[in-house]
Amino acid sequence: MLAEIFTPELFASAVRLATPIALAAVGASICERSGIVNIAMEGLMLVSAFFGIVAALFAPSWGVPESLAIWVGVLAAVISSVVFAALHAWASINLRADQVISGTAINILALGTTGFLMETIFGHPGTTESVKRMQPLLTLPTGGDSFLGTVWHWIDVVLLSYTPIVYLGIFLAIFLTWALYRTRWGLRLRALGEHPRAADTVGVKVLRGRWVAVLLSGAMAGLAGANLTLEQVGSFTENMTNGRGFIALAANIFGRWVPGGAYLASLLFGFADALQLRLQLFSAQIQIPGQFFRMLPYLLTVLVLAGVVGRAVSPAALGKPYKEKG
Amino acid sequence: MSENTPQPPADPTLASQPGSSPGEPPAPESIEKRFALEQEQVQRVIRIVTPFISVLIAMLIGSIIILSSGKDPAAAFLAMFDGAFGGPRQVGETLLRATPLIFTGLAVAYGFRAGLFNIGAEGQLFMGGLAAAYVGYQLAGMPWVIAAPGALVAAALAGAAWAFLPALMKAKIGAHEVITTMMFSYIGRYFVSWVVNGPFRAPGQIPQTPEIPPESRLPRLSELLTFIEPNRAHFGIILGIIAAVVVWWILKYTVMGFEARAVGFNPSAAENGGISFASTTVKSLCTSGALAGLSGAVEVMGLHYRLFDQFSSGFGFTGIAVALLAKNNPIGVIAAAILFGALSAGSGTMQLQADVSTKVISVIQGIIIFLVGAELIVTWAVGRVRARKGALNAG
Repeated sequence: MLAEIFTPELFASAVRLATPIALAAVGASICERSGIVNIAMEGLMLVSAFFGIVAALFAPSWGVPESLAIWVGVLAAVISSVVFAALHAWASINLRADQVISGTAINILALGTTGFLMETIFGHPGTTESVKRMQPLLTLPTGGDSFLGTVWHWIDVVLLSYTPIVYLGIFLAIFLTWALYRTRWGLRLRALGEHPRAADTVGVKVLRGRWVAVLLSGAMAGLAGANLTLEQVGSFTENMTNGRGFIALAANIFGRWVPGGAYLASLLFGFADALQLRLQLFSAQIQIPGQFFRMLPYLLTVLVLAGVVGRAVSPAALGKPYKEKG
Repeated sequence: MSENTPQPPADPTLASQPGSSPGEPPAPESIEKRFALEQEQVQRVIRIVTPFISVLIAMLIGSIIILSSGKDPAAAFLAMFDGAFGGPRQVGETLLRATPLIFTGLAVAYGFRAGLFNIGAEGQLFMGGLAAAYVGYQLAGMPWVIAAPGALVAAALAGAAWAFLPALMKAKIGAHEVITTMMFSYIGRYFVSWVVNGPFRAPGQIPQTPEIPPESRLPRLSELLTFIEPNRAHFGIILGIIAAVVVWWILKYTVMGFEARAVGFNPSAAENGGISFASTTVKSLCTSGALAGLSGAVEVMGLHYRLFDQFSSGFGFTGIAVALLAKNNPIGVIAAAILFGALSAGSGTMQLQADVSTKVISVIQGIIIFLVGAELIVTWAVGRVRARKGALNAG
């Protein structure tokens, strides 16, 4: 049975399931490094997942060629998420509101807005019509049944079988880690989250820097939502993010507020999710009810926080509003 | 949270700018003092009217949304009002829907007063509902003075238990309760889903628990007071009002409440004053969980008489809006819960008569949280007043 469970497809599905969490977790790491808590990741993902599908469904009727419709969807997903993130930025940076409350408001607003528009546009609650999902970037020939063929099968499935946003996620995690530690922008961003007063004194624009970080996290959440609907599921269901935004926040903490770390931590959650889905196929043999499998990612989040959080140190100025001098 | 984070006093340098106006009359100090006093009064007034203005603005934005979807907002809100207050049956429905919200609102508000954000009240509510359904069922044959209170106590304990681990994690290692209570919320919901599908499932097609016997039910108000026309409001609303008064009393007059408020106001100052952060956090979050658990109990004992998968339509999350709108005041929670109960009771009529989706309610809720919870109106309005006064004084 183990050979049936631990197939290359299991690992590939782990990476796929990790991607929305990872994109959001990387976005959260950038946002929190600037000193702003972004608990709205869940809502931002939901909004972008919805607008992504709507744009992809209606793009052909706006005169967009069929082949580009899905990319219009991705664009709409990112823009809608950035707009909602701007609300959070305005409330928490300019008006110095409580960041957790502002994020919660956006989460509830996202749930209401998507549900309301769903019924207004599609005339019914539940699930939207489907779009043709994004295809994998590469389609490679199989290698036959020989040993080399099996090795090739593993490489093909585990490394080369993904859709574009999955690769984009890996690239962004690496790129942003580099940018955070090796560029002037990264140094300044970290200063904003550790000691905004000092940054301000030497002439760094604190509010503008934080705005950029929040909008960037919005764009990342937008990609996460686009990945969820346009690459994985192909349709939108109300509240389909199902806590992924919150798991992403835990992954960010587990990854110690480093984009690359956040990505790796998300892989752990993706693996747990892939494993529980796979084990459900064998539930007749294992005799454990499906609900317990579905708890697994959430249990893992709690365990990870219980084991790690005490030693993880958050950015010093996280969650504290800042008022620029002069 | 609002009462725990007082606005900084008016900044005199912003206000009078003595250097910029050499021709001003003497004694700038007294002007500054008077100005600071006025500022405080302005802030206090704005604070009191904020919830009302916020509800109005949210309704206004709701109207614009309804209008842009091609429907008539006036007709929609009239239908909603009719559905919420149009007659004894409708008022009963409003009270029925306000009942669980009083408890979840109290749960979230109590957490906020202690500096804790119990975003996972939904999960505690499910565990409370489960405990009430199980104990209520097991106590069949007992006199009602034992059965009904027994089920309520069990629900409160279950809710508190479900908040205990997140509380412990917050107290001991600083794990943020927003993530942990949320995760426990999902775990609890799947657990309840398993219970009603498996070990505690009543025979039949629908996955649900067996009905609880009459002795562990909460009677309907129209059964107690026979002169009222029959409606679905039940004794839970009375329990909710009692709970609100008790929570108010705990916060104001007991050591436990004082410690909770002290830690919520300033944890390190409280610690210096000899109040343990860890034990206060655990006590406060468990109290919050117990209140959320009671919310599940009144739904099971007063309305459904059994437990099933979808028995709560997000009462735990609406409780956040209730608590924020009430500014975490337990008595205010009653009023805010009735408002949201009315929105919920009226939304069905609104959908039926004006063809507007009931979901517009959660849009309005989100806007209210944004405006009241994030204190947007207060900061914005105070900024405006300050800027105008500043310009006046300078010019």
